[in-house]
Amino acid sequence: MLVSWRYRDRKSLIQWFDPRAWLIFYACFLVCTLFFWDLRFLSFFFVIAVVVLVTSGVTWKEMRRAFFFIIGFVIFYALLTFLTGRGGVEAYKQEHLIRSLAAPFTVFGWRPTLNISVERSFFAVSQLARVFSVAIMTILIPYTLNPALYGITFRGLGFPDKIAYAMDLTMRFIPTFGRDFQLTMDAQRARGYELDKIRGGLIQQVRKLGPIIVPVTIHAIIGSEDIIDAMDLRAFGIGPRSWLEQLIYRRRDRILIAAGVLLLVLSFALLVLGYGSFWVPEFLVRLAGG
Amino acid sequence: MNKKLVGVVVALVVILAIFMLFVWLGGGVLGVSRFQTGENPVLRFVFVIVGLLVALGVYLGTKESKAWEVGTRQVVWMAIGAALYAVFSWLFNGTVFVVPSVSQVALRPAIAIPMFFGYAFGPIVGFFTGAVGNMFGDALTGFGLYPQWSIGNGLIGFIAGLPMLFADKKKSLDSVLIAGGVLAAVATVIYFLNRNEINQLVYPFDQPVSLMAGISILFGFMLVLVVRFAFGKNIDIAAAVTWGMLGNILGIGFAAISDIWINGYSPATAIVGEFLPAAGPNLIFAAILVPLLVVAYAAVQRQSGR
Repeated sequence: MLVSWRYRDRKSLIQWFDPRAWLIFYACFLVCTLFFWDLRFLSFFFVIAVVVLVTSGVTWKEMRRAFFFIIGFVIFYALLTFLTGRGGVEAYKQEHLIRSLAAPFTVFGWRPTLNISVERSFFAVSQLARVFSVAIMTILIPYTLNPALYGITFRGLGFPDKIAYAMDLTMRFIPTFGRDFQLTMDAQRARGYELDKIRGGLIQQVRKLGPIIVPVTIHAIIGSEDIIDAMDLRAFGIGPRSWLEQLIYRRRDRILIAAGVLLLVLSFALLVLGYGSFWVPEFLVRLAGG
Repeated sequence: MNKKLVGVVVALVVILAIFMLFVWLGGGVLGVSRFQTGENPVLRFVFVIVGLLVALGVYLGTKESKAWEVGTRQVVWMAIGAALYAVFSWLFNGTVFVVPSVSQVALRPAIAIPMFFGYAFGPIVGFFTGAVGNMFGDALTGFGLYPQWSIGNGLIGFIAGLPMLFADKKKSLDSVLIAGGVLAAVATVIYFLNRNEINQLVYPFDQPVSLMAGISILFGFMLVLVVRFAFGKNIDIAAAVTWGMLGNILGIGFAAISDIWINGYSPATAIVGEFLPAAGPNLIFAAILVPLLVVAYAAVQRQSGR
């Protein structure tokens, strides 16, 4: 039995567009955020992401769990970068210290020091903005993409029939396998298998994962035989595939795609011209006495 | 060396040369500062293309083989493989299970999936499983998309599937073992020469690569050797594990080395900081989990008769 993503038909900004157009725009969006470290540019993308989120029509209750996880993860990541300064070393050369907090103790001869610098704080903020924008846009996709349209969407994007169908199947299987994993965990637990307490040497630990990974995998493969038969009986792969749904580009979709491509080209141009690298506002630097 | 292998090697060399030319033109000659080494986002996609070209090159060199068929079965298997890999990656990426890593060797059992699927069902299934599974897994976790790692994972599955091209699996096994052994040894030597390199895969990104992580690849290789000879009679297990090992080293190696240009790492950082902590533990999982899957699948095949 298939478990599915929580898609509903909603009146929202994302669903107003053809899913292909939306995916293209999403891809352009992703690539553009990769180009910039400058918070001024990143906030532009962040605003877009927030607007999309707010107009998506996905209720808070629906995405609460996923959201909390993303928020937690993003903040954790940014905090770590902030505390250790790693990752920013490529983006800035000079650091203007606001404060340096040295711990009153040493751990194995190394004194934990927290150097709070303007650059580091700002880098953490920029990173927060970027990761958040990407996460928001990504998380909305399973909620707003109609599963009945998966296959035709990928086909419409130019993938060959079989690959488009494979991607359709992949997206459909993910929730099902998640559920299977849970079932197997429970079944094994009833037989005395404990995954939460993995002790023993490395090899022991890996071997202990066998009873959960092998059954889920083999079960999936066995189940595949039925699906293969069903597809063969319906003459899959013999000729060009026809789809039940039809996707037609309307003017609004062409505009969206054009906007996405324009964004990409502009961002690339800015990149080549040298803009967009890490930036710290002047007044903050002066505040730090730099 | 037979004609097939020669074709493969030539294709690889040509592709690499084309790529180096591109980087030299963009970064050196045109002097575009963001194209030079350092934070270089554009290069991610160049590497995606390079990886795809590598796979394409191998395909072109061996077109006649039956291993390249994509029928209904392959489509379903690749979807299952990708979905399984995505789900397992997501589960073991720290979202559901926070498994304590033993001295920076984090548990990533999911890697056994592309290796197994590649071996059992062929290079195309393996590539799709690794690449698409990695994309969805990273998207689910919220990591964002890192295309060069998706291609690297795809290559793992792809190379694990290459034994299907050879009629006699046993003959190539030993040369693959030797190649893998040499690469593992080289990586370990580089590790010992650069003990201070920071482990790039483990928070808080300022710990030098631990001894465990550093020698994990040698350890993994020893395990592969053990499995290879302990199960010498069972050609399937031996071949799966050996080719999986090669796929792992080359696939992760591809992704890590591409970061030399994409993130501006020094070669030592890429190899010691990224490649070792990822490839080493993966090898350990390969040696242990893949045989389990191979045996289980063989039992299923006997039972169902297909």
